[in-house]
Amino acid sequence: MRRTYLGEFEEIVLLMVAILDGEAYGVAVSQEIEQHTGRLVTFGTVHNTLIRLEEKGFVISRLGGATTERGGRRKRLFTVTALGNRALQDIQQLRNQLWQLLPPATLKLSGL
Amino acid sequence: MNKSNRDVPRPPHWAERLLGWLHPLATLEEVQGDLDELYRYWYFRAGKRQASFRYVLNVVSVLPPFVRSRSTQPEYSQFSLLHPDMIRNYVKIAWRNLVKSRFYSLINITGLTACLAVGLLILLWVQDERSFDRFHRQSANIYRLQNRVGTGSSQQIWTTTVAPIANFAKREVPEVKEAVRLAYNGAYTLFKYKDKTFNEENTSFTDPSLFSVFDFDLIQGNPANPFPDNNAIVLTETTAKRYFGDDNPIGKIVTANDKSAFTVSGIIRDFPKNSTIQGDMFLPISRLFKNMYANSKDGKNMDSDFSQFSYDTYLLLQPGSPVNGLADKLRNIHLRNKPDDTDLTYLLQPLPDMHLYKADGTNGGIETVRMFSVIALLILVIACINYVNLSTARSMLRSKEVSMRKIVGAARLQLFMQFLIETTLLFSLATVLAIGLMYGLLPMYNQLSGKDLVINFSDYRIWQIIGLTILGTLIASSIYPALLLSSFEPLKALKGNISARLSGALFRKVLVVIQFAVSVILIASTFIISNQLQYIRSKELGYDKTHVLGFFMRDMGKHYDAVKAELLHQPGVAAVTRASSNIVSLGGQTGDNEWDGKEQGETMMMRPVAIDKDFIPFFKMKLQNGANFTGAVSDSMHFILNETAVKAARIKNPIGKRFKLWKTNGTIIGVVKDFHFASMRKKIEPAIFYYNPTQLGAIYIKTTGKDAEQVIASAQRSWKQYNADYPFTYTFLDDSFNNLYKSEQKTGVLFNIFATIAILISCLGLFGLATYTAQVRTREIGVRKVLGATVTGIIQLLAKDFIKLVLIAIVVGVPVAWYAMSQWLHDFAYRIDIQWWVFALAGLLAVGIALLTVSFQAVKAALMNPVKSLRSD
Repeated sequence: MRRTYLGEFEEIVLLMVAILDGEAYGVAVSQEIEQHTGRLVTFGTVHNTLIRLEEKGFVISRLGGATTERGGRRKRLFTVTALGNRALQDIQQLRNQLWQLLPPATLKLSGL
Repeated sequence: MNKSNRDVPRPPHWAERLLGWLHPLATLEEVQGDLDELYRYWYFRAGKRQASFRYVLNVVSVLPPFVRSRSTQPEYSQFSLLHPDMIRNYVKIAWRNLVKSRFYSLINITGLTACLAVGLLILLWVQDERSFDRFHRQSANIYRLQNRVGTGSSQQIWTTTVAPIANFAKREVPEVKEAVRLAYNGAYTLFKYKDKTFNEENTSFTDPSLFSVFDFDLIQGNPANPFPDNNAIVLTETTAKRYFGDDNPIGKIVTANDKSAFTVSGIIRDFPKNSTIQGDMFLPISRLFKNMYANSKDGKNMDSDFSQFSYDTYLLLQPGSPVNGLADKLRNIHLRNKPDDTDLTYLLQPLPDMHLYKADGTNGGIETVRMFSVIALLILVIACINYVNLSTARSMLRSKEVSMRKIVGAARLQLFMQFLIETTLLFSLATVLAIGLMYGLLPMYNQLSGKDLVINFSDYRIWQIIGLTILGTLIASSIYPALLLSSFEPLKALKGNISARLSGALFRKVLVVIQFAVSVILIASTFIISNQLQYIRSKELGYDKTHVLGFFMRDMGKHYDAVKAELLHQPGVAAVTRASSNIVSLGGQTGDNEWDGKEQGETMMMRPVAIDKDFIPFFKMKLQNGANFTGAVSDSMHFILNETAVKAARIKNPIGKRFKLWKTNGTIIGVVKDFHFASMRKKIEPAIFYYNPTQLGAIYIKTTGKDAEQVIASAQRSWKQYNADYPFTYTFLDDSFNNLYKSEQKTGVLFNIFATIAILISCLGLFGLATYTAQVRTREIGVRKVLGATVTGIIQLLAKDFIKLVLIAIVVGVPVAWYAMSQWLHDFAYRIDIQWWVFALAGLLAVGIALLTVSFQAVKAALMNPVKSLRSD
């Protein structure tokens, strides 16, 4: 069913790239993760994950134009590919299906 | 950084540098930017310390090994001949092909392995031969001094010269920087240290310059003064070990046979095997001169004795100085000191040439070296031909693959690379196996060749040879098949228009012809070489050497008559006689002679031998004229000449004619028929027998051939009686005669082996080719059989093509073999005529071998059931 296994952190990063919608780059993604999940991750982790996602074909990247604020250095901007989109949807769908299967009693017991 | 950025906070400088150094280049720019941005973010939120801390932490997280490097793939892969993916693919396909056609791979690898191993072994031998005397730093400037003496047919070259010329040359000739003399030490042979006694046979008197001109450096002792006095002695390491074990040898005293004591003053390393100069002990040459001239009555001294030609003399010249003219200067010095040596000229032979060239500069051992180099080359060529033939013949099978590759876009160059890599793979396998095989064969090879070769992989020269050989064969055998295979036109090949017999057939035929021509040449050469070796060993020598043993008597000589009487009593002793030298190879020559009719300035070099009166009958020599010595006192004035001497001196009716040898003015009483007293490579030279009982140091004992053991035992008893200290050594003349031809014999054996291997490997290739042809024509044979062809008919059909090629090969090979062998025989003064039947036999053998190889497959193909071979269609 799913063509590629997506790790938990990979999933979050991919979602962030999707959320940032064309403005995703290393700093933005790691700041977003910090803000939304409260997790402090090293920049290297984000960097590596982005590269891995690109290798798997879920995102593509291009180098943006030069900016003055970063000493003239270019950003690498990531966008989600169709395959990435599909993967996110697949995950979403799967989760939903599984949630549907959950007996209502379990929900109550766990205090929800 | 520009001014407006000065207020911007900067992360720690070292961390930035670290990032710049270690982060992968492909993502450096973006990561640097991102981290800068993050630093500013942290700086403003949490202050400088927090920001710096986090910056460093994050820098570490993007350093190797944590960072994942972005694979830099261009959007479209560039066209590259050596793309790693393609190479991987080539190797994979090559391996599959090797495994798929196991039979042909096996033939190819066996042939290549054998050829490479044998070829490399031969080349190792060649390299060793060529390395002789070249290891000295100054070898290019060292020359051996030689003399050409005599006139007319008795002219010769002596490689030893007079002692004083070395000093004169150093003093008077500016080009000569240094000189070294070596003189054989026959005076001190027995050395004692404590309870150890050794008979030293390989010792010399020498100048101290031996240790500085040559690279025989002293490892112990004073290099500036190796011989502090006349009682000093320098030993090699091994010799020192023999006497003193692990003790420090310097200062130890060894005593010689006459009680003179020598103090060890220096130690040198053992001589390399590829040095012509060898020895175990060296004594100062001044000691020799003191012994010789201290009591001299004729007033000669070491600077005036221009008549003793017994010193090996080497001159070290100034670098770059011309050799021409030097010899004339030396001759002038010689003539100034000894005006009557008018026939004498000086020659200089370069040190590195000594081993492979004769004294006069003509080819010596270099002939064998060249012969073996050619054989190595031939063997390698045969291996290449095998490979080329098999792979081109079988190229049809690959035509479809090639076509498909071309259709999906392979460039010709890529296909070329593919087949090149395929060949390389096969060669790598063969190389590994060949090196293993070499290791295995080396001990046997060393025994055969009499060398001490080692494969030392830390030696760069080994790699030179291996690398060049393999690269050479690889290039020779890979290019043509790769060209051919990559040239197929896809449309034609897929339609099946390339006929199995046409493509490259002519080229292949030429190669088979070359291979068999080589085989014919080798077979014929093998015959001729063994015939010649047989001939020189069985040729009538002019004397009978069977069952004769001989040795030099030393102190026994004074008691010869008693010894002889005792020996003759022993059973098994047939006769006893004595002479002054070894009859198998006479030493010493003189030109100090005169006869009626000798021309002004003429010098006849002759070998003088003192003999006992029973010497001539003992060896069953024949007197052509006149009589033998009788043992009378008057015999000291009588001479017996050999035929060659009479001819060279142009004496008619020699009996009773006047002849003067040295100071003895005597008469010729007999002429002995020519006999061979040297190797058959040399012409018989003039020789003269004279009668002088005091000089007869060599005893000859003829046994009846039965009780040889007893005879040796009784000879040894006599020896011990008079020479208690010396070990008893003797040789049978048959053995010393064989020793004359040891190197020829070895060369012959090696040649036979190499030739056999070359021929076998050619056959292997032919076998593969025949197998393939039979395979390709399976259906044709099936149809023919169905239509009524006989088995013999089919065998003929298959063998005919190959036999034709072999016949052409014979026509090509015979003249080459004839030419090469007449060159080789030219070196022998006595040689066989090359006879036509040798070539006929060689041709017949070649045809036979080819037939045998081909018919195995042909018979198999012809016997195959046509139902089977046709069913598949």
